[in-house]
Amino acid sequence: MSATPQLASRSFVLLTIGDRRFALPAESVSELVVPGSMQTFPHTTPLVTGVLFRRGRIVPVCDLAPVLVGRDAPPRRFYLIAQRRFGAQCEWNAIPVTGNCELINAEMSPPSEGAEAYVSGCIAANGESVGVLDIERVVAAYAAPSAVTIGGEAQP
Amino acid sequence: MNHAPVSRPAKRKPRRSEPVILFSVASASFAIAASSVHEIRSTDSLAGSAAEIEAPGVRKVRHTIERSGKTYYVVNAGMHFGLPITRPALVLVLRDSLSAVLIDSIEEMAEISTLHALPRAFCGAERHWYRGLAVLGERVVPVVHSGGFLTSQELSLLEAARPADSSLANAGIEGVASA
Repeated sequence: MSATPQLASRSFVLLTIGDRRFALPAESVSELVVPGSMQTFPHTTPLVTGVLFRRGRIVPVCDLAPVLVGRDAPPRRFYLIAQRRFGAQCEWNAIPVTGNCELINAEMSPPSEGAEAYVSGCIAANGESVGVLDIERVVAAYAAPSAVTIGGEAQP
Repeated sequence: MNHAPVSRPAKRKPRRSEPVILFSVASASFAIAASSVHEIRSTDSLAGSAAEIEAPGVRKVRHTIERSGKTYYVVNAGMHFGLPITRPALVLVLRDSLSAVLIDSIEEMAEISTLHALPRAFCGAERHWYRGLAVLGERVVPVVHSGGFLTSQELSLLEAARPADSSLANAGIEGVASA
């Protein structure tokens, strides 16, 4: 058992966006769903591409790919339903991902030197060091000026 | 996977059934409370009575119209929402607002029983534009805020662009969004 809570083994969801792998703490993830019909309406929020209506709930779709892998990311095939925090409140968002996800137990270590600001830590997965995402920092990293969009900028 | 607590009841505002008008602009659908609409006119019928106005920074308003002794700023909804240019056929003259809104067509009347709060992920101007989201069948439709078509800053610019003797006498009008 590790000496600090930070190094205790936890569950993470491994996800793929484009050709890169990332992780999210499992407690912040609800499910992986196949794309339904994303619906769009005019808005000005960057990265939000539309909403899903799922199980009586409206779930915004937040596409992180432009920040994580650039605008030419390959199509995303699934939505990972993950939690975003807005102050004391939380909200489920659908994160488009490229492929299947995997649940693993791992110890999280501090981010490596030079890691992107949105990486809150690293885990070892299949011999690879994978960055654990802080979704709010990913969204904050999107520095492009706000432009009106109807969504559909990135179709999973 | 464990689920962290997520606020649930606050997301939804239970309401009595509310009649709404579904309208479209450039193939996008919107709803507005029927009680917020004073009058629906064809653009042709207003052609002779509209006055031109040009306010720098408020390109979505090019005309004013007089209805029942009140002056309305005619807002092009397509420009307001950043949609492709269309040829609007109808004008929604709003109640308790200084706006009349150019739209393409009326789709239908409907009733909504639940107004879903706009998810917090939406953090831009849409928070002024919409009261929330309605689900009609499988469709999610934004319900527009009748006072969200012009901000107080835009109203100030429009007021400044009007001739001095035609200042709006609408001091008590509500529903104008803050800038």
